[in-house]
Amino acid sequence: MVACVLSATSCKKVLDTNPTDRVPFDNAFSTPDYCLLSLNGVYDAAQSGPYNGGTERRGYPFGAANIEQGDCRGEDVINLAAFFQVTYQASYNSTAANCVAFWDNCYGLINKANVSIDGFKDAGGKGIITAALATQYEAECRFLRALAHHELTIHFARPFLDGAGAKDGVPYRSFAIASPTALEQIRSTPRPKVSEDYTKILADLDFAEANLPATYSTATTKTTRANKAAAIALKMRVKMHMGDWAGVITEGNKLVPATVTPLTWTSVASPIGGWTLTSAVDGPFTNNSSTESIFSVKNDAQDAPSVNGGLAGMLGSATIGGRGLVAISPIIWNNSAWKCNDKRRTALYVTGASNISTTNLSYFTTKYRDYATRGDFAPQIRYAEVLLTLAEAEARSAAVVSQRAIDLLNTVRNRALQAPAAEQYVIGDFADKVALVKAILLERRIELLAEGKRWGDISRNVMDANYTTGGIPAKAINGANGLAIYNCGGTYTPGQAAIPVTDFKFIWPIPANEIIQNPIIIQNPNY
Amino acid sequence: MVTDDKGNPLPNVSVQIKGANLGTVTNLEGKYSLTAPATAKVLVFSSVDMGTQEVVIGSKAVIDVSLKGEDRTMQEVVVVGYGTQQKKAFTGSASKVDVKEFANLMTPSIDKLLAGRATGVQVTNTSGLINAPARILVRGVNSISQGQGPLIVVDNIPVISGNLAGTTNSNALGDINPSDIESIDVLKDGSATAIYGSRAAAGVILITTKKGTKGRARVNYDGFIGVSNVLKKWELLNGQEFVTIANEKLRNNSPTPLAPRAFMDAQNTSTNWLDEAFIKNALVQNHTLSLQGGTDKTGYYFSLNLSKQQGTILSNKNTAYRVRLNLDHEVNRFVKFGNNLTLSRQVDNDQNNGSNALSGAVASALRLLPNVSPYSATTATGYNINFPTANSMAPGANTQSIDDNFTNVAFTLKFNNYESDKYRLIDNFYMEISPVKGLKFRSQASADMLNDYSFQKWDPRHGDGYSNLGLVYNVNQNFLRYVWQNYFNYNLSIKKHSFFLTGGHELQSTTTKWFSAQGVGLADLFFLKENVISNSAATPSIGGNFTKVGFESFFGRFNYDFGNKYFFQATIRRDGQSSLAPERRYGNFPGFSIGWRPSEEGFWNQSPLLNKWIPEAKLKASYSKVGNSLGGFPYLTSYGPAPYGNISGLALTGVGTEALQWETSAKYDLGIDLGILRNKINLTADWFLNDVDNLVLDVPTPFSAGIPGNSITQNIGKLQNRGIELAINATVVSRKNFTWDINLNYSNVKNKITKLYEVNGAAVPYIQNGSYNLIRVGDPYNIIHGFRYAGVNKANGNPMYYKADGTMVQQNFRTGASIGGFFVANSKDDGTIGAASSLAFADRTVLGQGVPTFFGAFTNTFTYKGFTLDFMVRYSGGNKIVNTTAQEALFNQSFQNNGRDILRRWTAPGDETDVPRLYYGQGNNINQNGVAISRFVEKGDYIRLQNAALSYSFNGKAIQKFANGFIQNIRLYVQGQNLYVWTKYHGADPDNISLGGIDQSVSPQVRTFSFGLSAGF
Repeated sequence: MVACVLSATSCKKVLDTNPTDRVPFDNAFSTPDYCLLSLNGVYDAAQSGPYNGGTERRGYPFGAANIEQGDCRGEDVINLAAFFQVTYQASYNSTAANCVAFWDNCYGLINKANVSIDGFKDAGGKGIITAALATQYEAECRFLRALAHHELTIHFARPFLDGAGAKDGVPYRSFAIASPTALEQIRSTPRPKVSEDYTKILADLDFAEANLPATYSTATTKTTRANKAAAIALKMRVKMHMGDWAGVITEGNKLVPATVTPLTWTSVASPIGGWTLTSAVDGPFTNNSSTESIFSVKNDAQDAPSVNGGLAGMLGSATIGGRGLVAISPIIWNNSAWKCNDKRRTALYVTGASNISTTNLSYFTTKYRDYATRGDFAPQIRYAEVLLTLAEAEARSAAVVSQRAIDLLNTVRNRALQAPAAEQYVIGDFADKVALVKAILLERRIELLAEGKRWGDISRNVMDANYTTGGIPAKAINGANGLAIYNCGGTYTPGQAAIPVTDFKFIWPIPANEIIQNPIIIQNPNY
Repeated sequence: MVTDDKGNPLPNVSVQIKGANLGTVTNLEGKYSLTAPATAKVLVFSSVDMGTQEVVIGSKAVIDVSLKGEDRTMQEVVVVGYGTQQKKAFTGSASKVDVKEFANLMTPSIDKLLAGRATGVQVTNTSGLINAPARILVRGVNSISQGQGPLIVVDNIPVISGNLAGTTNSNALGDINPSDIESIDVLKDGSATAIYGSRAAAGVILITTKKGTKGRARVNYDGFIGVSNVLKKWELLNGQEFVTIANEKLRNNSPTPLAPRAFMDAQNTSTNWLDEAFIKNALVQNHTLSLQGGTDKTGYYFSLNLSKQQGTILSNKNTAYRVRLNLDHEVNRFVKFGNNLTLSRQVDNDQNNGSNALSGAVASALRLLPNVSPYSATTATGYNINFPTANSMAPGANTQSIDDNFTNVAFTLKFNNYESDKYRLIDNFYMEISPVKGLKFRSQASADMLNDYSFQKWDPRHGDGYSNLGLVYNVNQNFLRYVWQNYFNYNLSIKKHSFFLTGGHELQSTTTKWFSAQGVGLADLFFLKENVISNSAATPSIGGNFTKVGFESFFGRFNYDFGNKYFFQATIRRDGQSSLAPERRYGNFPGFSIGWRPSEEGFWNQSPLLNKWIPEAKLKASYSKVGNSLGGFPYLTSYGPAPYGNISGLALTGVGTEALQWETSAKYDLGIDLGILRNKINLTADWFLNDVDNLVLDVPTPFSAGIPGNSITQNIGKLQNRGIELAINATVVSRKNFTWDINLNYSNVKNKITKLYEVNGAAVPYIQNGSYNLIRVGDPYNIIHGFRYAGVNKANGNPMYYKADGTMVQQNFRTGASIGGFFVANSKDDGTIGAASSLAFADRTVLGQGVPTFFGAFTNTFTYKGFTLDFMVRYSGGNKIVNTTAQEALFNQSFQNNGRDILRRWTAPGDETDVPRLYYGQGNNINQNGVAISRFVEKGDYIRLQNAALSYSFNGKAIQKFANGFIQNIRLYVQGQNLYVWTKYHGADPDNISLGGIDQSVSPQVRTFSFGLSAGF
């Protein structure tokens, strides 16, 4: 006590310490610069959150992991290592790390978006940033919120078309939770129906479309921040899951000119944002910010998923610096409807060593190329997807075989053909519109292969008698390798049995921790 | 000659001429000789153990003295925090650890040797790594989210402790040389710990280092050298067995059997990869030279130490250089000052220890293919690696490489390096003023500085560094703690009333700073040597942080003692900590205790029976409230750096609540101390209850709330630890030439979570703590939660489980039904695949608890003439272990090696076994990786021959004569540590467990034999 009297200030100083590695909550929206930083932080949450509660970042939810899982749930890749084996073999349970991490990080992103939305509104109200900028930032957050909720829906809930959205959906979080009190609110909110999720997703996307800029000034942010075309394109994807083909066409026509000239695919440009296919099939991958990369999640050498999550390492061949953990499956590779001389087969795929063999080679994608520093952007929406989505909607909506659908399909496919003029699809190639839709669906598998889109297509088509896979399709057995299994046009018998859509494993379990901490959320059956 | 009251000679007793700087010490036979000047009047005999006695010289030429130990244990002092107390007056519960028992055992730090030494103190050496600190629990697990380890106090100062290096395991406690330690006291109950108030919830370990002694300087050399080996390794398949098993896995694949891929090569290669990772006869050595002495006014203790210990994993090492200088000086009868200085440098080397890491030393050694050689004559490095083609090994005669690409452990252990070079300085200065009799003011200031310079390199040619094209990483950590204590001790005796008062103030401030530099994509192997080199890496990156936390404390203690018979103590501490919101920073922590020595009462003294059989008895009771310190700023909601690629960003990093307060732990203790049979047997028994309320708990939030870390730190929940402790010290035989002492101790700790939190008014049943454990109300901390295994179906080889309702399901792996799916099983003999079923979370049940419930030790010491033999047997149990090493590695279903137990697998109908039919690639399914299943949950009970030592002290007279007085005494000893374990646990060692009871491919325990020499000059 004597000492403290002698040096009263030093006693006080001992206790008066403050963090130096983070700013107080109230500061985070106190200047325009802080507001922008807080917006970037929401994008960061889309890029990388913690894996399994640890400090490692594997690119959950959208930095890499949704791509890797979206493919590993389907049949067009072969899993070669332990990382996604549980996903690939559908042996997940309610504590399986990959399913848990995806759920956890999607909601982490959603809450950061919601907390920041409040901050932006507040800053806009106080005049710290303009009202217009506050609304734009909010729109960016709501775009990400919609993206996350939609991915959650397709993994953790039955498809929309299973009972027209009447099945249990995923919790939709639309307010900030940054205190124990706010937390209590969600504890009385049961799982909504799938249809309610879709309604809210679309509301967010409508807001985003109305308030996002058509483009951004710098070369990288034009792809790595949400823009108007991204919101529209995502709406197309969402409505496609709902089977709302008229809606898809309405949205698609905002991004695709009324007439397209499939033989000069680079001439087909979006009226909003000017998005257009690159001339070469590997254009979107040689340049992360290409003219067709409508929205990608940024990664770079400074900030990327760990070696256990990076796209190039995971999906790339061990011969050229990858780790060779996920290979292309002969199920898609051998498909004769994918022309053997298609440019994509050589420009975007190579044979090479995997993590289990330097002698029994496999086919790997080269879409991702930054093997050492894992800086490939994680593509979420490409203009090619927009064209194929619109093509499918036109094909399904038309009474007969749709020429516009064929034109849109050709726009994408011609880029990959050796002789587009001679080889492109013509109306006579299709016996009926079902055949055309099937061709478009196959083209999606080919064009978007290794971009994580396969599960979405399986999920949305599984209830459609014409296009269903019946469930989780039969796959190559885990670890199948060796060039002998690859043969364009050849046959291949998958060794891992299919799982029917009626099986509970068709959808993922809600993490056990969610159910324990929030018992109002009921578990998916049999988990 | 100097003897004790039984007539046994007392060595090392200081004999001093009062008022003169002249003296000697007794030799091993208790003899001394001293030429006293004519002016000498009084001889002072003093000994640490036996106290001080003054004898008038008069005209005597031979002065034989018998130093009285009325009762050695009752005469001891207990270091209690800001002072000492006589043990007889001490009403709290503390264990004094006899340092002599293990000062020469082979370890770089004392924490690892505390196991079995004190009741209520549970010490687990969680791996055989030389530099990993032991886990210490005092009276159970006292917190869920906050610190569970005790506060460590060295010479009154709370020091920095823990596993702190940037890239390796390291032990900050290793900076204290075990042979410099005079005593260790573990404060356990509330009364004893209350003086440390806020930080006492998990107990306090008080370490006191040696001080100068009056009298002639004594030089001592202590050295030992020994070898360590792995106590028990895993038994793995040899090359031929691997070929059989691997091909059987493939052949059983469904629906399409796969062709064989494993083949023996022409040389019949059979590699035991464990031999590539572990070395035999790892050399360990330790040398200490000390100088201890003093004059009337000044005492000094100085020591120099070198310790070099090679771990059993090739790259695991610890080298320590330690210096101590303790000095005390009395300026006059009012003023005294002193300084304790600790200087230390520890260099640690380590490796990737990840339990599932592809380059993890143990993880890879367990899985690498035994029919493949680690070496290759055709590669540039001489190792079997596929550089530059791929980060894999050539498969030898096999047609595929190892699954999951585990890497060549012989290469990675040789070329990768994890190193930490740490410098430590603890300077601790005090000044003591005694203005009037009985009153002492003491001001003590210390600085504890720890600098860690860590380095890590990953070779680009193979292993972890391959994908990075080589990686170098440096981190520099700087810890600095200032402590300033000002307090007084006052004691006053009026007739039979004794009062003892302590009061004071303490400030503590700790700053932690670190920065790191990393480079990946190295220009050339040349730059991968000792340090990050500027401009040598394609992609450099940096990291760093600064944190500062502080404590302020006021404390007071009042003791009252009536006639050495009745005791009362009251303690109060008021603590402030910077981790709480300003208006809630301070907490008050009171403690009370009472004691009674009925053996001092007339009825006892006068009862011939009681007085003869139980001459000493003490009863005591205590209650207190203590707290638990926090770290960081859990009350704040804040935004931290969150860059989006190279674009700076900020994001919510944590949600806090300003209402956060101190956690309070109510501690109750009832104890009895007895001296039986002329004090030949001492018995101490305690009952305790720790009732922790307002737990500072990281309350889990639903994932769907999206709160960073999925928790908010709040004062919610209660837990209890209750148990008993029993210690018996007995002298079985006490003859002139032969003595036999035993020490037996037993502790029992029952932990129970009594309350968690509520959601919507309904109590949350449990918290998931990782994949295998639950924290559930009514159960002990970390119960193991999983599926009950029902064995293997004899007809079809499928694994079977019990559902919650008791029915059985089997997991199918054959075509015809969903592979990996669960189906109803009728019985163990019936191979029918029944209706589709499931094995859901609700089917999981409690399979045991992760933390042992009872533990203790039995120590024997025999002396015969110059020989001493002692050994300690330690035991522990009541817990279960989840053997994930077996689950994930030894029984894997990949193209990887297995443990020999897989040879028991089901192969044909009728086989009765616990190991299901093999199926390639279905390991996650068959073994339920990530979930505890009773197949891999085993009892953790064990009895361990912890150490045995035989020493011989040469006859002092003979040595002195032989060495012409140059050498005073010599002692030689041989000893063995961790000699044998009796257990039914099948893993490498039942101590290799986390706090959840998980055994996850850690380096097994080691057995050490050593030979030592101690010489006094």
